[in-house]
Amino acid sequence: MKFCVCIKQVPDVSAPIQIRGGELVMDAGRAVLNAYDASAVEEALVLTAAHGGEVDVLLIGPEKAAETVRKALAMGAARGTHLVVADDAELDSGAVSALLARHLDGHAYDVIATGKQAQDTDAGLAGSMLAERLGLPYATNAVGLAAEDGTLVVTRQGDAGQEIIALPTPCLVTCSNDMNDPRIPNLKGIMAAKKKTIDTQPVADLPAASVRVLRYEPVPSREPGQKLDGEPTEQAAAVVRKLHDASVL
Amino acid sequence: MPTILSYVAVSGGKPTRASFEVLTRCRQIAEAQGWDLAAVVLAPDAETFAEAAGRYGAATVYAVSSPDFDHALNPPVLAALTTVIELAQPAVVAFPSSEGVKDVLGALAVRTGGAALADVAEFDVSDGAVEALRPVMAAKFMARTRAEAGDGSPVLVSVRSGSYTDEEAPVQPTVETVVFESDASTVRQTLREVVAAAGGAVDLSDARVVVAAGRGVKDDEGKRLVEELAEVTGAAIGASRAVVESGMFPATAQIGQTGKVVSPDVYFAVGVSGAIQHVAGMTNSRIIVAINSNPDAPIFDVATYGIVGDLYKVLPPLIEELKKANAA
Ligand SMILES: Cc1cc2nc3c(=O)[nH]c(=O)nc-3n(C[C@H](O)[C@H](O)[C@H](O)COP(=O)(O)OP(=O)(O)OC[C@H]3O[C@@H](n4cnc5c(N)ncnc54)[C@H](O)[C@@H]3O)c2cc1C
Repeated sequence: MKFCVCIKQVPDVSAPIQIRGGELVMDAGRAVLNAYDASAVEEALVLTAAHGGEVDVLLIGPEKAAETVRKALAMGAARGTHLVVADDAELDSGAVSALLARHLDGHAYDVIATGKQAQDTDAGLAGSMLAERLGLPYATNAVGLAAEDGTLVVTRQGDAGQEIIALPTPCLVTCSNDMNDPRIPNLKGIMAAKKKTIDTQPVADLPAASVRVLRYEPVPSREPGQKLDGEPTEQAAAVVRKLHDASVL
Repeated sequence: MPTILSYVAVSGGKPTRASFEVLTRCRQIAEAQGWDLAAVVLAPDAETFAEAAGRYGAATVYAVSSPDFDHALNPPVLAALTTVIELAQPAVVAFPSSEGVKDVLGALAVRTGGAALADVAEFDVSDGAVEALRPVMAAKFMARTRAEAGDGSPVLVSVRSGSYTDEEAPVQPTVETVVFESDASTVRQTLREVVAAAGGAVDLSDARVVVAAGRGVKDDEGKRLVEELAEVTGAAIGASRAVVESGMFPATAQIGQTGKVVSPDVYFAVGVSGAIQHVAGMTNSRIIVAINSNPDAPIFDVATYGIVGDLYKVLPPLIEELKKANAA
């Protein structure tokens, strides 16, 4: 099976981030491969190791994001394509999916995989938008993948349980990080990645975005809480009294 | 007059609470803007839910009935919603955020030429555009975001549960029965099986009380205590990613950035550290009670009431106290 995994470089949300003048300021500048995309790469590598085939990765991002393409190559992806844009924050899910679709139009992949959402915007729209633009059958929020002859079997996490859906190839799937533990590239992988080429393509005309971030704001803070002292029996009695007073039980 | 269309999701044979929250918000916007309010229901017997939508103010209810909606496949849902959007020509379509909605929102936006805003905590209409507040960066920040679809196409928004309070405002709705024949040739995928999560008497995203277990819950004894606490409080059981991964709790119970967003009146966080990715799914809870042996656990930063202690020692008296209160 030939896979193309669409990946994104995102800020490390556990690093210090502040808001200044409505903008996010990341002093450490730490960026990582989106965890959901890492799971998609991992799963594609496992399936191709078992059934044959190859994994390519495709990224839209600024020049700096080349390091994230390199990371996926170090994990074991065969080829990387980097569509270079000045600032991917200007692109909404619609524009991202339009750019990806432009690039993948007439593609020869059996499966196009993406993360179920990006860890920074948490939008979760680009995957199904891309499927619709390419006219592919798709499933979102995969927590398990299996390959059969000409079919991708997706276990997806639905609202009430897990749905097992068979997709004929070519198809698209969006992956959860609940699916696996992505491998950490070893030295051999890192060395091999250095020899792999990244097809770097500057993007001249960006698709128009219909969604725009006006500014970032802090999360409204909750009322400060209260720690309850005493022995467990006293703490328990105190909590029950509070819940009772609030008429919630 | 422009229309705002609200999607009423049916689960286990009834509309979800989150649907009425969204419908209430749509009614407020319709009143403020002087717009028409309509609702859409997709179900095997959609007409049955028209009265419920009318109770929350929907003047028109588009009812699309088909056995196809009993199956978890996206093509019939996409086709039906596209048909209704063509009929109703809404300026805005609002959905309660759920896995089912997340599965179609993006594709629907492309198919209808619209714009989409996912998982908003707040939204309003101004100057023909939708302005929303969206949690981003694992809900560490909010992004004030504006979406505008050109050429009379709709803006689609999905709303996190608990963002609004449901309020009745009854009207007698006009029911538009939409004839829908799904075209089998467009359905290429097949549903092989639905593996329903065991237990879980109460639907998590609709629950008034949630008991969430974290890695502090280490064994069968801990699990039993969590289940007992859930039973005496009539709660749904939630979980952190750590205990879902360990296999102790089903994946459907996961709360957080990857899992579900919940908004109960009371949230018991039992042995949950409070990692931002978990907190992302539960800060809409009205009262948060955290039980954790580590006084510095980040969960205490968001908890209304914090009990520093060993859950194995705290839960038994807590369960006893609750039983006493129930009996009284
Ligand atoms: C992209 C991404 C998405 C994620 N999405 C989610 C998500 O949706 N939901 C989610 O939950 N996580 C998610 N995570 C994982 C998250 O970062 C944390 O790893 C996870 O929430 C930790 O779970 P926990 O609090 O149960 O475990 P831990 O962090 O191990 O905490 C266990 C807590 O239990 C306490 N404890 C231990 N023993 C006892 C005792 N006897 N009595 C009382 N307290 C005790 C400890 O003090 C500790 O605070 C995600 C991570 C990533 C990278």
